Amino acid sequence: MLTPFPHFIIIDDSQLDCFIGEKIIQNTGTFSSVKSYIQATEAYEAIKNSDPNTTEPITIIVLDIQMPVMNGFQFVEAFEQLPESIRSHYAIFMFSSSINENDKNRLENHPCIRKFYSKPISKDIVASIVDSL
Amino acid sequence: MEKQEKIKILYVDDEINNLTGFKASFRINYNIMIAVNATDAMEHLNSHPDIRVIFCDQRMPGKTGVQFFEEIRSRYPKPIRILLTGYSDIDSVIDSINLGNVFRYVKKPWKDADILAAINEANKFYVSNSLLAVKNEELQKAYNELDKFSYSVTHDMRGPLLSILGAVEAAQHMEDITEIRKMLLLMKESVRNLDDFIQSIHDYYNLNRGELEIKEIDFKEIVDEQIRIFNFTYLVSDVKFSKSIEQKETFRGDDVSIKLILNNLLSNAFKYQKKENKEKLVELKILVENGKAVIEVIDNGVGIDQNYIGDIFNMFFRASSQEVGSGFGLYNVKAAVIKLNGKIDVDSEINKGTRFRVVIQNK
Repeated sequence: MLTPFPHFIIIDDSQLDCFIGEKIIQNTGTFSSVKSYIQATEAYEAIKNSDPNTTEPITIIVLDIQMPVMNGFQFVEAFEQLPESIRSHYAIFMFSSSINENDKNRLENHPCIRKFYSKPISKDIVASIVDSL
Repeated sequence: MEKQEKIKILYVDDEINNLTGFKASFRINYNIMIAVNATDAMEHLNSHPDIRVIFCDQRMPGKTGVQFFEEIRSRYPKPIRILLTGYSDIDSVIDSINLGNVFRYVKKPWKDADILAAINEANKFYVSNSLLAVKNEELQKAYNELDKFSYSVTHDMRGPLLSILGAVEAAQHMEDITEIRKMLLLMKESVRNLDDFIQSIHDYYNLNRGELEIKEIDFKEIVDEQIRIFNFTYLVSDVKFSKSIEQKETFRGDDVSIKLILNNLLSNAFKYQKKENKEKLVELKILVENGKAVIEVIDNGVGIDQNYIGDIFNMFFRASSQEVGSGFGLYNVKAAVIKLNGKIDVDSEINKGTRFRVVIQNK
């Protein structure tokens, strides 16, 4: 496990899911900060403009798939276009309440997605994500 | 036979006399095209993809009728193939069926009655084949839609349920009562979203399966009823709502569809407001005259991005994450407008507002 603990970004169009995610991550205690975005585009802008030379610990992105305007996969595709110096500070984990075959295949096409989890996020999932780093 | 357009028939034979005789006998009832060799025949097939029946002589220099049919089969599968031959040896019959996949076999010299009977049967076969192809395509489309539909429905129903499940679990570890209250409020919203979604599936079903029930419509009454039932102001409380309803004549229409249109357009206008805006406005204008009703719903809210305006009536499309939409509302509105034989237009500018205009005819 990494010390210091990672930062967390939650990207989910459901306000409730963002709130739950924040609470559960806070409950684990193994985090440096946690922030939510209900618009993937806003999260993308923030990441794009983040400091590539930061000495901060890695940021875990908890990413929902089905979202309006920019969905999870569109976010990943945009993220992949960012320079390596920025991407290396982030680790993407995908979350959804259901997944179809098509989406499963798409997951494989994006190596930057570390793992897929079924919703809802739980203490155990957060622990296994932090352990996997 | 249908009156509209003559059935197109192609006859291929190396003997000009046969060709002219065939054309003379049948051109009154059919659109006859003739070809003296395979090359000419191909030209006809290329420029007339709607040729329904091909007659071909078996004995031609260079190529037999069976060979010709075998060649064109994969490129032009639709026309029904009929072989004409004076030599009825069993081998060529077997070949014509197995290789050329011919539908009929007519002996030369032919009698008019044989040809007419063959055309009739072939045409029936052609028509049922084409109908089958159309039905298959429709079925495939319906299956694809069903796939997408069930996936999205499962997702949209499970989403809020799993959120609530997660919330219950998280709340078990909470000590702070204000946090628990905040959680409860979000859970309530989630339950309400799920209920709205189920209601819109119900609307969808009604629109697609239900019959129109035409009755007299009093727009003032309907609008008041919708406002009372849906209490749009719970969505955003500080919106200034103005309505002007002018009904100059009796209007007959399907009240279920009209209510659905009003309810969805109004709730969108209330929902998609700019939070920071001091003067939030929603305006409803209805004018009934000259055999039609014009309904306009205008707001000064967030507006719709021009990139998405073409998609807003599609099922499950959501152009904004400001409010939890089902992706069903405007789809249902459009379906209702179509059902009423009406028209819907939208005018929108991002950050300025949106105007929906629906015109429906008096029945």
